[in-house]
Amino acid sequence: MSTNENKKENRLQTGLQATNEFNQPLKGNSLYKDAWRRLKRNKMAIAGLIVVALYSLIAVLAPVLPIYSYKEQQMSHIHLPPTFSETAGEQMLERKIIELTTLAAKDGRVEWTEEDQRLIEQTIEEARERYKDPSSAGGEELTRKEKDAIADAERSVRRARRDIAVEEGRVSLNEEEKAELEAIRRQIASETEVIDGKEVKVHERRYLFGTDYLGRDMLARTIWGGQMSIAIGLIGGITSVLLGLFFGAIAGYVGGKTDYIIMRIVDIMYSMPYMMLVIILMALFGRSIILMFLALSLVSWLTVARVVRGQIISLKNSEYVEAARSMGASSTRIIFRHLVPNTFGIIIVYTTLRIPVFIQMEAFLSFLGLGISAPYASWGSLIGDAVEGMRAYPWRLFFPAIAMTVFLFAMNFLGDGLRDAFDPQSKNKL
Amino acid sequence: MTKYIIRRLIGLIPTLFIVVTISFFLIRIAPGGPFDAERRPPEQVMQNIEAKFNLNAPLHMQYLRYMGDIVRGDLGPSFRYQDHDVNFYIANSLPNSLLLGFIALGLALLVGVNAGIISALNQNSWIDYLAMAIAIIGITVPLFVIGPVLMYFFALRWDLLPTSGWITGRYGWITILMPAITLAMQPFATIARLSRASMLEMLRSDFIRTAQSKGLRDSVIIRRHVLKGSLLPVVSYVGPAFASIVTGSVVVEQIFRVPGLGRFFVQSALNRDYTLIMGTVIVYSVILVLMNFIVDIIYSFLDPRITYK
Repeated sequence: MSTNENKKENRLQTGLQATNEFNQPLKGNSLYKDAWRRLKRNKMAIAGLIVVALYSLIAVLAPVLPIYSYKEQQMSHIHLPPTFSETAGEQMLERKIIELTTLAAKDGRVEWTEEDQRLIEQTIEEARERYKDPSSAGGEELTRKEKDAIADAERSVRRARRDIAVEEGRVSLNEEEKAELEAIRRQIASETEVIDGKEVKVHERRYLFGTDYLGRDMLARTIWGGQMSIAIGLIGGITSVLLGLFFGAIAGYVGGKTDYIIMRIVDIMYSMPYMMLVIILMALFGRSIILMFLALSLVSWLTVARVVRGQIISLKNSEYVEAARSMGASSTRIIFRHLVPNTFGIIIVYTTLRIPVFIQMEAFLSFLGLGISAPYASWGSLIGDAVEGMRAYPWRLFFPAIAMTVFLFAMNFLGDGLRDAFDPQSKNKL
Repeated sequence: MTKYIIRRLIGLIPTLFIVVTISFFLIRIAPGGPFDAERRPPEQVMQNIEAKFNLNAPLHMQYLRYMGDIVRGDLGPSFRYQDHDVNFYIANSLPNSLLLGFIALGLALLVGVNAGIISALNQNSWIDYLAMAIAIIGITVPLFVIGPVLMYFFALRWDLLPTSGWITGRYGWITILMPAITLAMQPFATIARLSRASMLEMLRSDFIRTAQSKGLRDSVIIRRHVLKGSLLPVVSYVGPAFASIVTGSVVVEQIFRVPGLGRFFVQSALNRDYTLIMGTVIVYSVILVLMNFIVDIIYSFLDPRITYK
């Protein structure tokens, strides 16, 4: 230690600097500078980094962003489709008009145009020709079968024309229905609600991502769900890497019996169906975020422990550590000055790679209804909720699914890029 | 060799023992019991029920008795479903799960290995990029997104496939297509990347250059030398692949309404149906552990560097 400091002092005093053979000053390249230079060349990784930064920004700013509440239920806004141009009130009115005109049309209050009449008559004529029974040729009386077939044809053409009439608004509403519409118009124009001490015209909202089965804004839920998912991924990733680092470093550095015991435990846990145990744990002990962290962290440090152990063992026997030891460096100095900084690269890489895994595991549990519970949301729980009604309300599935997929892609590209940057000769590419 | 296999088989017992023991006590210390209800029946009735299911004995006695039962192959009566015992439900649902799982695994292996080989032989061509792009999708997108999205487009939008059902129903074998593809995506992706990477490494190795310099035809080199070596990592991945398929099947069976074991798994835990949870856990563990064991044995046959010690 003292020799090193002496050297440094000498250099400072004499103003000497390390130079190469052309007398140019040499600049030391730290591991991080090197890695950053390599990462910058990887376009996919940089794109991933930008996306991750953007998501993180949105997640952090979720409380101050101008979005509606993620848990406020608007019973009159249930299952509104996503729109950029219309307000919720306009959507409500449209939905009511369609509902009422469809009923009225079924009631027979359609204003038939001449084209309608012509098409209907034409279809009846055609059906008469087509279904004419050749065996009863000549007779004026139609058989019962013929009559049924013609009636069927007429009914289906009338239904088709009726749907067109509803679409074009050629249906007359009675007074009662008109009054109903008028009431809704008035409600939309005047109704306000007090939210957070402010009076809000709720029907002037625009739902860019639509609403869910309780009239909650899907945009807000996707953002808040993302915040939850990213937070879980981050905390879980860091926890599992720290656990893995701790056990891996002990096993690698101490070696001997300790190493053997830790690695056997890792082996046994590896061969267990641990996701099954986590599912049972969550189903039995109820849904709590803390428990989920515990359960997932317990099973997800194994890979990191193996990698760190390998790294520490190979570093322990490396030449520069031997050199340090031969110069009389203490064990603590070797660990903290040489071994730990050299595993930072791995820690960064594995934390980035664990985050998407953690997000996926949490989403897996939430999808089964065992993770995050209402009114909170995560991407997984949003997707799980949406599967049932996806035929009628596909936006509830697609927005969270797309948000999650994009983030996972970005994380994976960033993680792969970081691994290549920190460890270019990496053998464990998968 | 036989000795090695037998010793490995005996080595599986501790793992299974630990899994069964942990699950047994986890389930018992969880709050709530199988017969909790809004209105508690009279004390005498409860005592009779508990006596019938052997719940009144001390916990360690229950444990020993249960262990004795499962060693004899009896998983006990279901606490929730009165008609049959656990063996019956598992015997009815396990074949469906196994069929789905093995079709998914076969699909992943067949398509994955071929995609990897073709990609490696045509490195940096459009087909390589296409295969690897699909592989990245398979690794990144979780199966509970892939499943519903496939279902939305192929079944609901384009009406090409039935939304759900099982092969014994109206639609026949076509019902197995979407669940199997959903399950196969993730292992397919990993297998394709693995086989591509190891194939590329193999192609650059010295003994391949020797073979080329001896004037062997490319097709012979690939068939005789490259393939054999480069498929070893794939074989060692089959174990983890099967584990991910088993875990994934819990979700996939729920999405596509497959009458398999997965549907009992979550539901029985929520119902506190002690014997049915234990039954499913034991069956899943045995399958996983056995599969890992078989893969290990196959691997040691294929890789001459491994000795049976």
